[in-house]
Amino acid sequence: MATMTPGRGLIAWRRNRSLIGGLLPAASLLSLFFVAPAIWAIYTSFTNRALVGLDARHPRHVGWANYERLLHSPAFKTVLINSLVFVVGSAVIGQFLLGLALALLLDHGEHRGYRATPFVYGSVLLAWVNPTVIAGFLWVAMFDFYYGSLNKTLELFGLSGVSWLGKAPMLSLIIVNTWRGAAFVMIIFQGALRTIPSQIYEAARMDGASAWQRFWDHTLPNLRQVAAVVLLSVTISTFGAFLLILTLTNGGPGTKTEVIALYAYHAAFQSRQIGYGSAIAAVMLGLNLIFAAIYLRVSSPKI
Amino acid sequence: MSAVAEQQTRVPSPTAGASAAPVQQQTVNRRRPEQGSRQEWIVVHVLYLIIVIFFFAPFLWLLTAAFDGDAVAYIRWPAQPTFANFTYVYQNFHIGRALANSLFISTATMLLSVVLVSLAAYSLSRLEFGLKSVVTYGVLVLQTMPLSATMVPIYGLARDLHLRNTYLGLILVHSAIEMPFLIWLMKGFFDTIPRYLEEAAWLDGRSKFRAWWEVVMPVARPGIVVIAGFAFLNAWSEVLMVIILVDDPGKSTVPLAFYQTFRSNGGYNEVNYGLVAAVGVIYVLPVIALFFSLRKMMVRGLMSTSRGL
Amino acid sequence: MAEIQFEHVVKQFPRQASPAVNDLSFTVNDGELLILLGPSGCGKTTALRMIAGLEEPDSGDIRIDGQSVVGMAPKDRDIALVFQQYALYPHLSARNNLLYPLKIQKISKQERQHRIDQTAELLKISHLLDRKPNQLSGGEQQRVALGRAIVRQPRVFLMDEPLSNLDAKLRTHMRTEIKTLQQELRATMAFVTHDQAEAMTMADRIAVMNGGRLQQLATPDEMYKFPANLFVAEFLGSPPMNILPVRQMDGHLSVPGGWSIPEPSRTKAPAELLLGIRPESIRVVAAGTPGAAPASVIVSEPLGSEVIVNVNLGETMVRVRTPPDVRPRPGEIVHLQPDLDGVRLFDKESGANLRS
Repeated sequence: MATMTPGRGLIAWRRNRSLIGGLLPAASLLSLFFVAPAIWAIYTSFTNRALVGLDARHPRHVGWANYERLLHSPAFKTVLINSLVFVVGSAVIGQFLLGLALALLLDHGEHRGYRATPFVYGSVLLAWVNPTVIAGFLWVAMFDFYYGSLNKTLELFGLSGVSWLGKAPMLSLIIVNTWRGAAFVMIIFQGALRTIPSQIYEAARMDGASAWQRFWDHTLPNLRQVAAVVLLSVTISTFGAFLLILTLTNGGPGTKTEVIALYAYHAAFQSRQIGYGSAIAAVMLGLNLIFAAIYLRVSSPKI
Repeated sequence: MSAVAEQQTRVPSPTAGASAAPVQQQTVNRRRPEQGSRQEWIVVHVLYLIIVIFFFAPFLWLLTAAFDGDAVAYIRWPAQPTFANFTYVYQNFHIGRALANSLFISTATMLLSVVLVSLAAYSLSRLEFGLKSVVTYGVLVLQTMPLSATMVPIYGLARDLHLRNTYLGLILVHSAIEMPFLIWLMKGFFDTIPRYLEEAAWLDGRSKFRAWWEVVMPVARPGIVVIAGFAFLNAWSEVLMVIILVDDPGKSTVPLAFYQTFRSNGGYNEVNYGLVAAVGVIYVLPVIALFFSLRKMMVRGLMSTSRGL
Repeated sequence: MAEIQFEHVVKQFPRQASPAVNDLSFTVNDGELLILLGPSGCGKTTALRMIAGLEEPDSGDIRIDGQSVVGMAPKDRDIALVFQQYALYPHLSARNNLLYPLKIQKISKQERQHRIDQTAELLKISHLLDRKPNQLSGGEQQRVALGRAIVRQPRVFLMDEPLSNLDAKLRTHMRTEIKTLQQELRATMAFVTHDQAEAMTMADRIAVMNGGRLQQLATPDEMYKFPANLFVAEFLGSPPMNILPVRQMDGHLSVPGGWSIPEPSRTKAPAELLLGIRPESIRVVAAGTPGAAPASVIVSEPLGSEVIVNVNLGETMVRVRTPPDVRPRPGEIVHLQPDLDGVRLFDKESGANLRS
């Protein structure tokens, strides 16, 4: 830890001067592209600014009008529900459970020395590492009603094809997002599993615990802390999901898969109402801040 | 070794029956397989197969479609195996230009990121307590901010600052978006480097900056490689910001080219899968290659963030 | 309680050049504390783990109470193992750590409580029971680990270097505690350590191992006085036994430096010999004493109750134990006389001890 005594005021300032200097370049860039936009969004949300037309030239201050509109908009309610379903389905259930299962399976395979393990690992990672729009495109093809791989496989078994993106868009999105994000959860859990000393398991064996008991009594409890953090983490990142949905369904059919980020995008760029769009963005940022605060409280990261 | 035998105290074992076999005879081993049963092997490998199919199938399709002159939406061995898709795309979709742009921007982003991130992460790691926690929390909060929320303001901001359709704008934005994560990662790395290295340099009369540059950075090299890798990868993959900032085809990047190939003109019904797949392969290949060569280091870096929790 | 028997046990790990345990045979008697002693990698821990059932021998037999346990699951062997790093369950309190094996074995609630109270009192950890392992000091953790073994009332206790992670003072204290415990419980205990002082103070008998092979099995006293070979001779004792080259002349053995040892009776006449003599078997005498040889002092190390004098005898460095007031300075010449009772002879090739 610090070998210098923490000081107050001027002395501390002098000592830390060069360090603060080191932070400045990054801080300015971040301020420009994170802080400034956030402030800009909040400011703009109180205007009726638009991309074209009269309101583009001379945006007027409209107070809380945008927010009121938001609150009373039935579309927004749908959007919130969609976002909730998407986050719970793909992050809380999908990515989390699948990632956990994968971590356990691969950890087990590693211990047994199965040589296929790295390949399985690699394929899971592949889904995570590739760019979002690629993932979207790939699954558009997979989901294609007439010629997609999924329906073609179903046909092989004598079943009729499903209109994935048409009739079950949310489910399809959840599948794809789970496919994408499971790797992250898997990696974090794998890290946690590796920190459990093997001697604990040996001690449990000596005490008479069966394989199932060892898993239940010793593996799971030790994963609990990490689990909470991971869960929050995937929730936060899935909350802002945009590109994947844009690529696959663009919020459709209709507004069935319109999540909050898409709602903001459409308002700003399709309806050209930046003021309204900024209000939505501001709400997003606010909700995100709350999530972030919870995350920080739960994870108590090493300062 | 007779000496040994002499010293050994032997107590007649009070056994009867089964174990009364003469001591000299080697007992047959009833060895249990230490490595799990046959059944378990099968179950695990069946699961493995299912997982690989689920995760890899889409890529299999990408590969088969890209090299197929008559590509379809499902996975099959190419009906017309060919490179024609690639040549067509190169000639007609200005992929060459996009590739050059992507390469330039990604490299520049990587360099800028490495410099800014190492400076910031080191400073953060060595900062004194009060200020340190504020800044650290700040970085973490920034990390959670969704791009989709800031993209609208960034559009407005970039327009007002005349940064749209410029290399500078693209480089700055690409560097900025990954920065919180990279700073956090690198800070963790610097935390593991003991302070006595730079302290020795200070005692020798070096300024903090020189000490950092000459003594700490060489030790931090593996971490820097990871940061550089991530920065390049993310810059190469980034498409959202490019959509927002660029509408000049001369400044197009590979991700944007790809996106426009299959999502422009209102929909994806009339897409030629083969062509789009070809662009997709061009887009994805560097990502996969880079990631898998640096994989071990990156995953370890990521895992260590879980340990810090 | 029970006795443990090893019979020609061999264990080789894959990708290793030589077996970890090579033709090991010995017995741990009922109620005795046998210490497996040796340097790192000598196979002692592997042997212990084979008793526990965490490893299985490639060939040979291991019997507890006359019954072969090879192939038997650890939990069926009715043994307890105390790990070097204690391996306490980090998410459970000390009490629940002690409870765990009892719950698995489905022991009645009443009996459980009784055993825990008893054990906690025995080890003086009753006041610590509600703490988690990370809230306990090293010594406290170790006692909880011991407790977890004791509550099970197993027929055999195994200990894998349990004291290595404790500071010196605590270690010596725990040595006594464990020994006392073992005697009180009349437990059969197999204890692994690399610390020869630990072995000497605690063991009923010691089994010295090196390179997977048993070097000698004897009581500490016997082993100290009559080491079976060079390895055992140099391993036990601090400072270690002095080993000097000897030349065979007719009728006697000559040590470069000036000692002359009368030739002992032997059945065989090995080519080359080494002489071993412990620091306490050499006396500093006045010049001219018969049998004494001069040696130049390198340095004297006063230890309070005695002094270890390092000297050059011939070309060999030799250590001598002297009373606290005998403290020659570097460069001085002292005269050393060997106590012939303490002389041991070793075959230079095989290292084996020839009766002196």
